[in-house]
Amino acid sequence: MRRRDKRSYRVALVADRYLNPPARGLDVIPILLEAGWGVIQLPADAYPREVAGPLLEQVAEQTEEFHRHGYDVVVIGRRAGLKEALAMARVPRLDQFVPVNADALIAFLRERPSPKATTARKRTRRVPVADA
Amino acid sequence: MPGVAFVAHCLLNQNAKTRGGARCPGIYSPLVDVLRQKGWRIEQMPCPELAFTGLNRFWAVREQYDTTAFRKHCRRLASAVASAVDVHAKAGRDVVLVGIEGSPSMGVCITSSDPERAGLPEWPDGSDELAPGEGIYIEELRSELAARGITGTRLIGITHQLPDHDRHDERTRLEAFLAR
Repeated sequence: MRRRDKRSYRVALVADRYLNPPARGLDVIPILLEAGWGVIQLPADAYPREVAGPLLEQVAEQTEEFHRHGYDVVVIGRRAGLKEALAMARVPRLDQFVPVNADALIAFLRERPSPKATTARKRTRRVPVADA
Repeated sequence: MPGVAFVAHCLLNQNAKTRGGARCPGIYSPLVDVLRQKGWRIEQMPCPELAFTGLNRFWAVREQYDTTAFRKHCRRLASAVASAVDVHAKAGRDVVLVGIEGSPSMGVCITSSDPERAGLPEWPDGSDELAPGEGIYIEELRSELAARGITGTRLIGITHQLPDHDRHDERTRLEAFLAR
């Protein structure tokens, strides 16, 4: 039996400090879980440049794919080198939010528009394939 | 002592799944809940299929991805991940890898296989494609870690896309694995 696809078409690039928060730091996972967002993790600030660089390159490549297909993609927090990596992958500037607390993030996510992918998707008419 | 879990991309982002495969809107909470409760640090690996064949890819088996170009792509991703694993391994932290059972690239013990699958992608639902074995990315990542002399990295696969998946059994298995 085929299952219904439950994706949200919403993806957040999230600074590591919010996914693996220090004691008493803001933990965004419960918020993103509740709001139905997927996560692309940004490399930890502690990684040396030679470790973070290739990881950021991969983040940018995957982000480009989501953006090109009309998924809502946002950045939560900051990561040095992200802007340059996204530019290399030809991703236009993304909406970015640096949350001061959980309520601010919840409000930001609540105000996001519907992803283009959910409004632009149309069922394509199946055209019979001629016998070879 | 809690360590670092390098998890398959889609466990934090179900939007990366092949269309029809997303089990939840975004984060796969059963895994994240256990890792969080046990105090493990989470690191997300890239999705090899998303970056290679994109969001509109067809559901594919291992043989369809087993090309020189895809393996080269996996090695590039694995090299970046191995560098991050190395940082934690050198700091003496326990590192585990969490893949996806049944996946052609992220399978740990179970991949998908059908040497005959090709052409127009229509086949009956439930056709038997699951087979013992590793996914291609996992194979390349293990190879990269071995080449760098990184040993002791344990692996486990999440079973949520297998027909006999049981959420409770998986949690028990995961907790036992992390406690080792």
